[in-house]
Amino acid sequence: MKSRSFNKGFIYIIHRGGVGFTAKHTARVIEAFIGEYASGKSELAINRALELKSQGRRVTLVDLDTVEPFYTLRPLKSKLESMGIQMIGFSQADSFGLGETGAMLDPRARWALMNEGDILLDIGYGVHGAQALNLVEGVDQTPELKVMAVINQSRPMTSTTRDIQDYLLSLGRVDGIISNTHLGDETTIEIIEQGNHIIMEAAAALDIPVYYVAIDKKLQTEGLENRFPVPVKYINRFMPNAIW
Amino acid sequence: MGKIIGEPKKAFITGNEAVAWACLVSGAEIMFGYPITPQNEVMHYWTRLAPKYDRRFLQTEDELSAGFTTCGAVQSGVKAFTATAGPGNVLMQEPFGMAEAMRLPLVAMIQQRGGPSSGTVIYSQQEVTLTTFGGNGEGHRIVYSTSGHQEIYDYLIKAFNVAWKYRFPVFVLGDGYQAKMREPLEMYDPEDHGIELVKPYPLIGLGGKIGEEREPSHLCNIYSMEEELYDVVMKMAAEYEAITPQLMEWEEEFCEDADILIVSHGVVARAAYDAVKALRSQGIKAAYFRPISLRPFPAQQLRDAIAKSGAKKMLVAESAYGQFERLLKQEIYGETIKIEHLFMPGVGIIDYDVIEKVKSIL
Repeated sequence: MKSRSFNKGFIYIIHRGGVGFTAKHTARVIEAFIGEYASGKSELAINRALELKSQGRRVTLVDLDTVEPFYTLRPLKSKLESMGIQMIGFSQADSFGLGETGAMLDPRARWALMNEGDILLDIGYGVHGAQALNLVEGVDQTPELKVMAVINQSRPMTSTTRDIQDYLLSLGRVDGIISNTHLGDETTIEIIEQGNHIIMEAAAALDIPVYYVAIDKKLQTEGLENRFPVPVKYINRFMPNAIW
Repeated sequence: MGKIIGEPKKAFITGNEAVAWACLVSGAEIMFGYPITPQNEVMHYWTRLAPKYDRRFLQTEDELSAGFTTCGAVQSGVKAFTATAGPGNVLMQEPFGMAEAMRLPLVAMIQQRGGPSSGTVIYSQQEVTLTTFGGNGEGHRIVYSTSGHQEIYDYLIKAFNVAWKYRFPVFVLGDGYQAKMREPLEMYDPEDHGIELVKPYPLIGLGGKIGEEREPSHLCNIYSMEEELYDVVMKMAAEYEAITPQLMEWEEEFCEDADILIVSHGVVARAAYDAVKALRSQGIKAAYFRPISLRPFPAQQLRDAIAKSGAKKMLVAESAYGQFERLLKQEIYGETIKIEHLFMPGVGIIDYDVIEKVKSIL
């Protein structure tokens, strides 16, 4: 253990172990969000970044989507920067005119872990799960790293316990799961509950912890947390504005 | 074919995935494809699904080959499809022309992108002309323009049935937004919706002695005599025109009484519909008309809508510089309604754009 001082005079203690909900004065948070296409990786990475930021922490969000210039963090870059998040990744303007060759990484993403403060890695679906971390220097020297698999049970390829297990096994390293079942504007609490149940069954079989269930803030009601056997985290949806 | 979906269920899905699932439940045996944005995930998902359901995939060396291999596969009697966009659609016009000539039941998903360009990957509705009349023929093909994931799914199921029933190539026209957008889709096995799948049949290698037990199967792609070509095209035109009443599809609302008729297709129709409802709530008598089949075009239905609505103006809204409007104008030649337009090539159109345009011209 050692201590390191950051901005605003807080003292953060670095330790190894569970992250889940990060209160003030805990270790540096390093999380990689991986998962199925359209499972909610970017959405949850953004929400996590803003949560940490609201705790007065220094947060860097890294766009590691190498697949295509759609539904990535790019269109939201300036908005998130204005909210105090440090962004590593191209803006739309940076990649303007590149067309299909625009699916490339900001070279700074390779060295992202060398930055101070919390680092959140948003990883595109086309690369195979945690293998994308091979693109980033210093992964082996980052014991704080948690690889979070985002699962939406309403996605057709991860809709049964068996499918989810197979999918998780295909990803390589997974340290924890974020349960993110939803149906867009048609989401109900019952759909989330049912999805979470199936996700938890799959997670239990593989002995992988479910860190929390993500629920759109619009569905927040008194006592809703009691209906779920894992912590509930309310999220705002930013990605519908990121289609291009 | 056994059930794939089982109990119908809602899924959160992208348009490209909806394509792959729709082709799967339609009984497609094989996809031929070459990567191009924004349809890549059709291939990605088909290749994930195919091994589970004993289907096949071939990535060819280019789009010409993907189109021609699709032409070959359907002749052997299997349901086959391809998906492409932009310059891929340009290249595939040659095999699509062959499919027209040989009356091949080919199905192609077109996820439109912007142009002119060989590298622009962004959303647009600029492949209307290419998809409807792109070949060196007379456009004897069927084109459905979808507005969202449910229609992608529903119309692809229909596309296979129509292709194998009538033997004209069928195209489902989506776009970059529909390809990437995420929204709920009700997935179902066609039989559970009362849809009987048309069984595929071989066009070559048929049994029986020609001339005695069966007619010869003429699958000709080359006509060396002018008179022969004349006969073939005239016969094809007559057969195409004979089936158009069964093929035309459209949507309309508030067309009984209106000052302005707003016409659009594909994803833009969603914005147009919202705009019409908003305008109505503000006391502006707007009506909504949307051709779903662009080939054949529901021309008489649009003429009827003009007549019964009493509208003096029409607004054509499209994310292109007049491709849809040109198609529409030739189909309703002779109508005297004043046609205004909202052309936004490469740019998405939202209800606000339509509402502002209507207010500026009324």
